[in-house]
Amino acid sequence: MATIAQHRVTHSTAFRVRRLRNQILFWSVIALFVIFACFPVYWMFVTTFKEVNDLYNLQNNPLLFHLPPTLDQVRYLFEQTNFAKWVENTAVVGGAVVIITVLICVPAAYALARVRFPGSDSLGIGIFLTYLVPPTLLFLPLSQLVAGFGLNDSKWSLALVYPTFTIPFCTWLLMGFFKNVPREITEAARVDGCSRLGAMFRVVLPLSVPGILTICIFAFTLAMQEYVYALTFVSSSDEKMITLGVVTDLIRGDVFFWGSLMAGALIVSIPVAIVYNLFMDTFVRGITGGALK
Amino acid sequence: MAELAQRRSVGLSNPGAWIGHVLDGERLFGFVLVAPAIIYIVLLVGYPFAIALWFTVSNATTAHPIAEFTGLTNLLAVWDDDIFRRALANTFIFTLTSQALQMILGTGLAFLLLKQFRGRRFVRGLLMIPFTIPIAIGAMAWTWMLNPTYSVINWIGVHAGLFTQGPNWLGEEYPAMISIILVNVWRNLPFSAVVLTAGISAVPQEILEAANLDGANWWVRWRKVIVPIIAPILYIALLFSLVFTFTDMTVVWLMTRGNPVGATHVIASYAFQTGVVAGSLGRGATMSLFLFPVLLVGALLLLRNLKARTID
Repeated sequence: MATIAQHRVTHSTAFRVRRLRNQILFWSVIALFVIFACFPVYWMFVTTFKEVNDLYNLQNNPLLFHLPPTLDQVRYLFEQTNFAKWVENTAVVGGAVVIITVLICVPAAYALARVRFPGSDSLGIGIFLTYLVPPTLLFLPLSQLVAGFGLNDSKWSLALVYPTFTIPFCTWLLMGFFKNVPREITEAARVDGCSRLGAMFRVVLPLSVPGILTICIFAFTLAMQEYVYALTFVSSSDEKMITLGVVTDLIRGDVFFWGSLMAGALIVSIPVAIVYNLFMDTFVRGITGGALK
Repeated sequence: MAELAQRRSVGLSNPGAWIGHVLDGERLFGFVLVAPAIIYIVLLVGYPFAIALWFTVSNATTAHPIAEFTGLTNLLAVWDDDIFRRALANTFIFTLTSQALQMILGTGLAFLLLKQFRGRRFVRGLLMIPFTIPIAIGAMAWTWMLNPTYSVINWIGVHAGLFTQGPNWLGEEYPAMISIILVNVWRNLPFSAVVLTAGISAVPQEILEAANLDGANWWVRWRKVIVPIIAPILYIALLFSLVFTFTDMTVVWLMTRGNPVGATHVIASYAFQTGVVAGSLGRGATMSLFLFPVLLVGALLLLRNLKARTID
């Protein structure tokens, strides 16, 4: 009797120790990953709010503030650069890209996912493959095309060109969503007298609102993040979108305005990071196609 | 009969419904819906692609875009260019190393995120940050962190006793290559982790338990149960991040501009340097054309696998 009880106690202590060890190990690994992921953001934050004298003083511990935090660098960004204009350009161009993308992708993805017509499989793959044509190959001829449209050094050149990558990406994302809507629902609507177009608008699209919202978000953020085409087509500061503006206009000659550069980086990153995080699950559901329920 | 009459009257009074009925043939309906996408892609991808192909066999420059046919001159010149060969090798090194690290670390991270623990959503949100930040911004933050004079990473390394004086990360050949791989992994790891998490959590619990009862250890469970089930998702994830990494020039361009002395160029950044900065459209287009066959083969292989698996 006594041996059994004692045996049980030692067993549970060992178990507890092992569990504690596992817990510590687990959280250390998590901590390492979090530091790796977030340290650059912390560094942007510190750089943004430091006094210049503190930032460039090699005697100080760079991770901490030695002089009180300041808004000077943020003020410089707003007052001495075209930052407000870049935000406006981003909203306008991003909005235009979203509209073009939705108007083109929704019908295309619907047809490829739900309608049986000759060659639909190859068309789907064809659209997907265009995603693999790198900007590095297209920017040279596209710069000629853009000039032909009279859009040289204009933000509208970007609204014209960005759908070349948002369309394939979003079409494939959306196809996943449309495939998840059971065929029986459309068939039921058809039996009830709906046309194909009617079934699409009244039955499938309302059920796919999360999917359509997701592609809006991805179209916008893909456009906002783009750097190569922007760098190639746009050189006037007034016409830049936010990402290009921040990473090019705050380097004057050999002088990097790190404080203001990181301030801009932070301002661009925070809203996008929040939105992306909110929609990450929807994104994953879309990108994995019909494989996930 | 009454139903038919009702349909007719709807057709006449409501133009939307009338269009709907005209489009009711399945073929026509499909073609009309896909048409805008096809037209857009032909005009803004297909046509420029054809021009790019023409550039590769011509001596076009930004100053003189109307050019003469020069045959294989560009190809031979590019192939003789040591920096280009180095860029070609670098592109593979960067892509494959980043991809391998992403898959390994991503799998580990996925299993961590599948555990139920307090603050899981918050931790997950923090881990997603690199993927949610514009890549150009992320690259700039790392450039600043790896600055030759003010590198915070070197400060930490020196104070942790790892080295007495840190490397000039972006100014020396190997540290620069490591930095570029590091930033690529940093950027794409959350994507791999999320896709893997979603895939693994879709594996039916009963199958795993059954495998457990049959005495399968974790490696066997991973290799024989989980991987086959999540393979389609894994392929999509792999394809997307391969494309991102293989064709990306942003990280290289912002962090090193291909320096020191062209040692860290990838095809994309060197093509940009040649085609845009130096204005030699023909040479630049020829260089970036090297990206295409690899991507095509990779994509076709993956798509074939994808199809085979979805049919099963």
